[in-house]
Amino acid sequence: MLDIKNLRVAVDGKEILKGLTLKVEAGRVHAIMGPNGSGKSTLSYVLAGRSGYDITEGSITYNGEDLAALAPEERAARGVFLAMQYPVEIPGVTTMMFLKSALNAQRRSRGELELDAITVLKRVRAKAAALNVSEEMLKRALNVGFSGGEKKRLEILQMALFEPSLAILDETDSGLDIDALRLVAEGVNSLRTPERAMLVITHYQRLLDYIVPDRIHVLAKGRIVAEGGKELALELEAKGYEQIVKDAA
Amino acid sequence: MSVALALPTRRVEEWKYSDLAHALGEAGFGDETARVTIGAPPAGIEIFALDEPNRPDWIAAHYGKLRGNPVSAISLAKARGGIALRVPKGRKIADALSLEFSGNGHARALLVLEEGAELTLLERVGPETRNSGLEIVIGPHARLDHVRISPAADAVQVEEISVKLARDATYHGHFANFGARLSRTELEIAVEGEGAEVELSGVSVLSGERHADVTTHVAHDAGHTRSTQLFKKVLGGRTRAVYQGRVTVAHGANGSDSRQSAKALLLGDRAEADLQPELEIFADDVKCAHGAAVGDLDADSLFYLRARGIPEQEARHLLIHAFLEDAVDGIADMTLRETVRGAVAAALVAVTA
Amino acid sequence: MSSAALETKDTVASLGEKYKYGFVTDIEMERAPKGLSEETVRYISAKKGEPDWMLEWRLGAFRRWLAMKEPKWARVHYPPIDYQDAYYYAAPKNTPKKQSLDEVDPKLLETYNKLGIPLSEQMALAGVAVDAVFDSVSVATTFKEKLNEAGVIFCPISEAIRDYPELVKKYLGTVVPVTDNFFATLNSAVFSDGTFVYVPKGVRCPMELSTYFRINASETGQFERTLIVADEGSYVSYLEGCTAPKRDENQLHAAVVELVALDDAEIKYSTVQNWYPGDENGLGGIYNFVTKRGDCRGDRSKISWTQVETGSAITWKYPSCILRGDDSIGEFYSIAIANNFQQADTGTKMIHLGRNTRSRIISKGISAGKAQNTYRGLVSVYGKAENARNFTQCDSLLIGAECGAHTVPYIESRNPSARIEHEATTSKIAEDQLFYCLQRGLGQEEAVALIVNGFCKEVLQQLPMEFAVEAQKLVGISLEGSVG
Repeated sequence: MLDIKNLRVAVDGKEILKGLTLKVEAGRVHAIMGPNGSGKSTLSYVLAGRSGYDITEGSITYNGEDLAALAPEERAARGVFLAMQYPVEIPGVTTMMFLKSALNAQRRSRGELELDAITVLKRVRAKAAALNVSEEMLKRALNVGFSGGEKKRLEILQMALFEPSLAILDETDSGLDIDALRLVAEGVNSLRTPERAMLVITHYQRLLDYIVPDRIHVLAKGRIVAEGGKELALELEAKGYEQIVKDAA
Repeated sequence: MSVALALPTRRVEEWKYSDLAHALGEAGFGDETARVTIGAPPAGIEIFALDEPNRPDWIAAHYGKLRGNPVSAISLAKARGGIALRVPKGRKIADALSLEFSGNGHARALLVLEEGAELTLLERVGPETRNSGLEIVIGPHARLDHVRISPAADAVQVEEISVKLARDATYHGHFANFGARLSRTELEIAVEGEGAEVELSGVSVLSGERHADVTTHVAHDAGHTRSTQLFKKVLGGRTRAVYQGRVTVAHGANGSDSRQSAKALLLGDRAEADLQPELEIFADDVKCAHGAAVGDLDADSLFYLRARGIPEQEARHLLIHAFLEDAVDGIADMTLRETVRGAVAAALVAVTA
Repeated sequence: MSSAALETKDTVASLGEKYKYGFVTDIEMERAPKGLSEETVRYISAKKGEPDWMLEWRLGAFRRWLAMKEPKWARVHYPPIDYQDAYYYAAPKNTPKKQSLDEVDPKLLETYNKLGIPLSEQMALAGVAVDAVFDSVSVATTFKEKLNEAGVIFCPISEAIRDYPELVKKYLGTVVPVTDNFFATLNSAVFSDGTFVYVPKGVRCPMELSTYFRINASETGQFERTLIVADEGSYVSYLEGCTAPKRDENQLHAAVVELVALDDAEIKYSTVQNWYPGDENGLGGIYNFVTKRGDCRGDRSKISWTQVETGSAITWKYPSCILRGDDSIGEFYSIAIANNFQQADTGTKMIHLGRNTRSRIISKGISAGKAQNTYRGLVSVYGKAENARNFTQCDSLLIGAECGAHTVPYIESRNPSARIEHEATTSKIAEDQLFYCLQRGLGQEEAVALIVNGFCKEVLQQLPMEFAVEAQKLVGISLEGSVG
C-alpha cells in the first residue's frame, strides 16, 4: 500500500530524513519509534504533504500512485489521514461544520454524493459516544479551548468518520493520562481492519501496550536503524535508544 | 457660530491615513443637502423634519450639541433639513427602524431615546459623495442596537456618529463597511452615565482600490462603565483599511473597563493596513487592554483543513469567514445579522476572485 | 524575599535624599557667551579645533534649524524654551584632556566616584571601559590601549573628528540626517562632545563600553553626539548613564545617537537615564529631547535598545531601528517611570525594509504622582519586507489616581506575508498582590518596589549585569513617595 524508497527530506535546507525506506501493507500496524529529533514528525508531515518539507531524493508510492505529487487535500481524499500531535485551533469554525465540510470535500473529490447535514450529524453522533465526545464539544469552535485529551479524542473521531485506508498517528499518546490513553487506544483498535494500514509514531513504548503493532521500526538521525516484531519495543524500553542505535551501527 | 470650513489634509494627525482634502479636490462636498429618509416607522416613534420651523424642545436640547469633529461641523453648518427621531420614555420598539442617507452633499440626523426606551436601527447609505452627521442621545436605562451597512461605492463618504450615553444606557453598534474611494466612519462616543455599556464591532471587506477608515473614540467620562471594540478587516487588491481607535478614561472615572481589538488580513499584494489603537488613561482603578494584529491566513490552520480533505481555495474561504465571524456574531437582531453575513459573503467573492 | 527585593528595600531605606546625584561640583568653568548664533557655532568648532568641513556641516545645520519649528505632537507640556537664554558650551578649565587619569582634576574624579562611576583602572575588574562627559567635554576615557589592541576605536567624538575624519565623514549624519527634526538639527549645529566607537570587521569588543554623561554647570544645555559603527561580523555592548544636579531651573539636553550595524554585526545599547527629574512640586529638572536611531544596514545585523528611563522632567525619546538589511533584527526593551510632575513620551520605531526582518518591542510604563507617561511606537512594514515579523507587548501600571498612562501605537503594513502582533494593557497596581506583600510584613514602599520590579522583569533581564542591579534600585527610589 505504502512504499517509501530511500527518502531524503530537507527543512529550511537542513536534511532531516536521510534515506528512509519503509513498506507498509494493508491490514498491518507499523510502529515508528525513535528519540527526539530523529525525524518522526517530519515523516508524518511529508506523508500528509505539508509545505516546507522538501523531498530531495527518493520516492513515496501509495497504492501505485506518486504521493508526493498530490496536494494535501488530494491525499486526504485518497484515504491518507494524519492524526496530529498538536491539532490546530480554528476560532470561528464550529467543529460540526468543519466535520461536514471535510467529509463532503473528500466525498466530492472521490465522485461520491455529498451528505446532508442530518446524515452527517447522525454519523458523527454514532462515533462520538464511544469516544466520549460530547454534543457540546461539537458545537464549539474547532479545538478551541479543548483540553489535550479532548483534542486527541476528536482526532480519533475524525479518523473513524473519514474511514481512511492509511492512518498515521503522530505521538497520539503525548499529553494523555492513562484513562484518556486507554480510550483513544480502544478507538484506534476498533478501526483495525484487513483493508486499513496504520503507522503509529511514538517516542514511548507505553502506547504500544494498548495498540499492539505487527512491526516496529526504530528511526534515528533520519534513517531506520533497527526493525523487529512487537518485542523490540520492550527491548528498547530496557536498553534505551542509545544502546539500540549503537548495536545497529 | 463660525466654523472653519477647511477640509483636513493628511498633515492633520487624525486624518493622516485619509487625505480628505486631496480626495475631494477643490469642490469639496459642495453646498447641496443630501437626503435622509426612513422606512415605514414602527408605531411609537416621533418624527420631525429639521427644515420645518418651530423645532420642539427635545430637538433644541440636543441638535448640534454632541461632540463632533471639524468635518461634522461643516455638515452641521451647511445641511438644510434632515430628520429628527424620538422614542419616548419607556417605549420598547420591537421592529427595526431603517434610516437611509442618500444623494450628494451634507446631511444630518438626530435620534433621541428617552429613559428606558429601546430601539433597533438599521442604517443604510447610498453610493454618492456625502458628508453626514448622525447624533444619538441614549437616556438612562435606554438601549440602542445600531447596524450600519455601507455598500462598496466609488465616491467620497464621510460620516460621523456622535453618541451620548446616560446612566445604565446601552449602545451596541455594528459597522459593516465595503469601502469607497475614500470612506471614513467616525464614532465619537461619550459615556457620561455610570453603568453605561458600549459594544462596537465591525467588518471591512475591501476589494479593488477601495479605502475604508473606521475611527472611534470612546470616552469613559463616568466610572463603572464598560466598552468593547472588535474590528476585523479583509483586504484584497490595492485596498487600504484604517482603524484608529482611541479610548480615554477621564480623571475619576474609576471602575472603567475597556477592551479593544483590531485585526487585519492582508490578502492583496498591494494592500495596506494601518491600525492605531490608542489608550489614554487618567484614572487608576481601570482595566484596559487592546490588541492589534496584521497578517496572512495562518499556515498551520490551512494545512490542517487541507490535510482533512478540504481543497485549498475552500479552506481559505472557510478561514476568512471564520476570521470575520466573531465581529458579526455579536449583532443581536437575527435578521440583521444574516443581512450582514450575506453582504460579507458577497463582498468576499470579489476579494478572493 | 528575593535578593532583588532586599536590595531595593535596603537602598530605599538607606537613602535620605530622594535624588542622590543632585550635588554640584564646584569647579572653574569656561563657557561660550550666552545665546545661540553663528558665532556660538563658530566658537564651539574653534574650541574643538575642528577642520573646516565640520564647521561647514554645523553652520549648515544651524541655518536649517533657524527655519524649523519645535515639534508639538508629543504629549508633553512645558513653557516655551528661550533658546537665547542658555549656554551652549561649558567646560572645566583644566582641559585639554590629560593623557593619564592621574592628571585629571581630582575634583572631577571625585565627582564620578560619588556618582558610582570610578574612572580608575579598577574598572578593569568590572570589564567596562568608560568615557566620561562632563558638561560639554569628555574628561576621561579609560582603557584606550587595551581596546586599541583589539582594533576598537573608543574616544570622544571631538577626537575622532580630528583623528579619524574619514570614518566620521562616512557615517556621521547618515542615520539621523542633519535636518531630521528640530532637536537633532540643533544638536548637529552645537554638539560639543560625545562618544565615537568603531568596531572593526569580525571583532567582538573585549569589554563593555560605557559613556557617563554629567550635566554640572547651570543654565547650560548638553548636546552630545554619539556615533557607533559595528563593521561586518563585529559585536559591541554599550552602556550609557546620565545624571545632573538638582536645580530649580530647567536645563535642556538634546542628544543624537547614531548606530550603524553592517553585515552580521550586532550592537547592544543600554541606557539608564537618571537626569534630575525636578522636585515633588514639579520645579526644575532636565528637558530631555533625544534622537536615537540605529541602522541595521547589513544583512543579518542586529540592534538592540534597552532603556531604563527614570529621570528628566520631560522625556521625548524614540530609540528606533531601520531594518534595511535582509534578516536583520531590531529590539526595544523599555522601562519608563514617571513620578511627581514628570512627563514622558517615549517609545520606538521599527521600520521594516528588508526581507525576513524581525522586531520585538517590550515596553513597561509606570506612572505615579501627577505624572503623565506615554508610549508612542511605530511599526511600519514596507512593500518589499517579505515575511517581516513584529511582536509588541506594551504594559502600563498606574499608581495613584492623579497620574496618566497613554499608549499610542501606530501599525502600518504593506506586505501580505508580514505578521504584526501588538498587545497592550493598562491597569493599576494589583490590590491583592499589594495586600499579600503587606500581610507578609513588607512596608508599602517596599511592596510597591517589589511588585514594580516584577512588572519590569522582562526588560531588566536585558540589561548587562552591572547595570541591572543599579536599575532595580533605581526603580524603587524613583517611586518613593508614590504611595501612602
